[in-house]
Amino acid sequence: MDNCTYEKLDISGLDAWFGDKQALKGVSLRIKPKTVTAVIGPSGCGKSTFIRCINRMHELTPGNRVSGVVLLDGVDIYKSVDSMDVRRKVGMVFQKPNPFPNMSVSDNVVAGLKLIGAASKKELEAVAEENLKAVGLWKEVENDLKKSGASLSGGQQQRLCIARALAMRPEIILMDEPTSALDPASTAKIEDLVKTLKAETTVIIITHNVQQAARISDMTAFFYLGELIEYGETRTIFESPKSPLTERYITGRFG
Amino acid sequence: MQGKKSSSHYNRQDAVFKYLLISASLLVVGLFAALFLMLIRGSLPSILGNGLGFLTGTTWDPINGIYGALPAILTTIVTSLLAVGIAIPVALGIAIFFTEYAPVKAKFPLTVFIDLLAAIPSVIFGIWGLWIIAPLIKTYVQQPLVTSIGFIPIFGGPAYGISLSLASLILAIMVIPIIASLAIELLSRTPITLKEGMISLGATKWESVMRVGLPFARMGVIAAVMLGLGRALGETMAITMVIGNSYMWPFANPSIFAPATSITSKIASEFYEATSAIYAGSLIELALTLLIITLATNVAFRYIINKTNKEAKR
Amino acid sequence: MRMVSRKNKDRVARWLSLAITVLAIIPLLWIICSVVVNGISAINLEFITGVPAPYGESGGGIANAIFGTLIINAMASIFGIPVGILTGMYLSEYATKGKFSSAIRTSVESFSGVPSIIFGIFAFTIIVTNVRHYTALAAAFALGIMMIPIVAKATEESMRVVSDDMREAAIALGVPKWVRTVKIVLGVARGGVITGSLLAFARISGETAPLLFTALFSFYWPTGIDQPMATLQVLIYNFALSGYQERVLQAWGASLLLVMLVVAINIVVKIVTRQKYKEGI
Repeated sequence: MDNCTYEKLDISGLDAWFGDKQALKGVSLRIKPKTVTAVIGPSGCGKSTFIRCINRMHELTPGNRVSGVVLLDGVDIYKSVDSMDVRRKVGMVFQKPNPFPNMSVSDNVVAGLKLIGAASKKELEAVAEENLKAVGLWKEVENDLKKSGASLSGGQQQRLCIARALAMRPEIILMDEPTSALDPASTAKIEDLVKTLKAETTVIIITHNVQQAARISDMTAFFYLGELIEYGETRTIFESPKSPLTERYITGRFG
Repeated sequence: MQGKKSSSHYNRQDAVFKYLLISASLLVVGLFAALFLMLIRGSLPSILGNGLGFLTGTTWDPINGIYGALPAILTTIVTSLLAVGIAIPVALGIAIFFTEYAPVKAKFPLTVFIDLLAAIPSVIFGIWGLWIIAPLIKTYVQQPLVTSIGFIPIFGGPAYGISLSLASLILAIMVIPIIASLAIELLSRTPITLKEGMISLGATKWESVMRVGLPFARMGVIAAVMLGLGRALGETMAITMVIGNSYMWPFANPSIFAPATSITSKIASEFYEATSAIYAGSLIELALTLLIITLATNVAFRYIINKTNKEAKR
Repeated sequence: MRMVSRKNKDRVARWLSLAITVLAIIPLLWIICSVVVNGISAINLEFITGVPAPYGESGGGIANAIFGTLIINAMASIFGIPVGILTGMYLSEYATKGKFSSAIRTSVESFSGVPSIIFGIFAFTIIVTNVRHYTALAAAFALGIMMIPIVAKATEESMRVVSDDMREAAIALGVPKWVRTVKIVLGVARGGVITGSLLAFARISGETAPLLFTALFSFYWPTGIDQPMATLQVLIYNFALSGYQERVLQAWGASLLLVMLVVAINIVVKIVTRQKYKEGI
């Protein structure tokens, strides 16, 4: 990590608005490849808006605006890349598991490729198996590949959604509180999975659970009222936070 | 693997798809506009030839070129109002039974029944009304009434069976499922909290319907009436088969047992014979009149429904 | 004392509303019984396979009318269902709050309130007067227009209830909007779209008024889709009013077939949608 000099993601002066309401104010940070970055902060602090600016989903709602520079591997995703291409490079996993109920388990995994006809049937089968294995779901669903994606349990659905994002071979995976709808056992599985994911890709994960952030992340970013208050190595943030706001938040003395 | 095709390729596909959707939608708007224009164009010979007398005239005599539509218009309006008048209490009864008293197990069969009644083709109502109901009505309802209270003009004889009143009855049966299913939907929307409040205060179900359910759905019930009216006004086949197609009612014979002619039955039975431009134009002007009346009820219906939807959201 | 009378009122309301409901079921059963009892005696091999006998002769069948109804319905569906689905997709996924969208919405909603005979006259003025003869194509045109609002509404409504989670999932995968609309949103909503299309098909199968001045009627097998064509609906109307005993009986037989077609579609739809309610989707 330390010997890696180039930045996967380089964000500077990022502002975002919902209509007239500014949700992000001058956020700048750099994220190294193959790391897990936790984004924490009280609700309404702009964490969701922040990650939705990284895959250009914030701008989808009419009236929303973004300004600032977001460089992915040195390329400005707002200027030089089509939004669809950005989203293929930056995967996303949502708070509520959202597999496509009209598709089978294996089709869900390869949905991103299959829907745009980017691979042959044989390739797709291999991709499905590979990514189901990567999320530890293969053994559980091996015999149910043709069943609807909605037939799995909540925890399995969420791992299916992670496999679906992984299948696109993304540069970055964004996770928006991926365990908040899950039971503790499923949560533990996802946390273990996140730790293994950084061997292949870069993870940015929102969590409302500071212990979770401490358990799984290398870096932590603390947001408050649309501003990035503090960003640094997770250990440092948790052991000696610079800002009193951060300290109050991670020790749970926050309103 | 991915990203081989350039994104502009997908953007082009997106644009083509959007234009496809827009052109389909434009086609719908265009067809609606064309419907109006063609009816207006088709009625021009009549509008110019008959003038306003068309709407007030009581004689329809193509041989002498006299086209008065008033009896047909009145028949259409009166049969529809009578039909809806008969249908409302029945439909509300069904809706109240369904929402308040019906056991859960009976609800599905009830919706099947309502939907099937709504699905029976109108020509089937026609053949049933003409061959099964008309003779029965004539013998067991019309004749006794004519002999007992026939001195009152609207119950006057002779009894034909096929008549204005039979048409209203058949129409009523046809609009019952339409009004009932909308009324069920609206009554089921009564907020549970309001209902439970009433019940917890010791009110009976009946009182809860009367005090909370119906007032809450009041506008909606009016909308249901409009919907039923719209359907009844435009109904053709059943009416044509049971109304008798005579221009007697209401001016020559005001009895509800007299045969009559509605706008739709007039068009259905004479359109083939209409060889002259003014004859065909007069029938098309009848259709235009009908279109305007039904669209007005449709607009009223949607206005009320939108208003109640907004109120329900509040 | 007062409590008792209130309870009684409630009891009266319960029994009265039950009685009304039972009363309203009678016509449906009566119609179905009449159609079955009268219709079944008309049905035999010649009836199913033959064409109507010329006036004055006995026997004959209604095969050409069965065929005509199916052909005209099929042509109407080819026109009405795609336009309906595309319009529904537009209203659900692309429509804005602007004038264009509200014009489309108003047209769709107004169409569903237009009396069916008016579509017949519309098709007559636009097609029959131009080609100068009655044609099954004009009938299919009229019936197709009648399908559009039903299919469009079913499509729009079932696509609208698809959760935004599905749209977001598709967007996050970098899928183009048209693929998302067709394969995800429409894919998830397909049950409702199929149901709506079936109901639209059932609805036009019973429509008679739009056929009177378009397809007209014919005693023979159709020679082409641009020719007059017999249909079950118009056959029932013509024969029921013909005054000949045998023709009236044949009208009942045709009624039985028509009712069976319409009721079967409705029951299939009911069963399918009921299962969906049970699964809680």
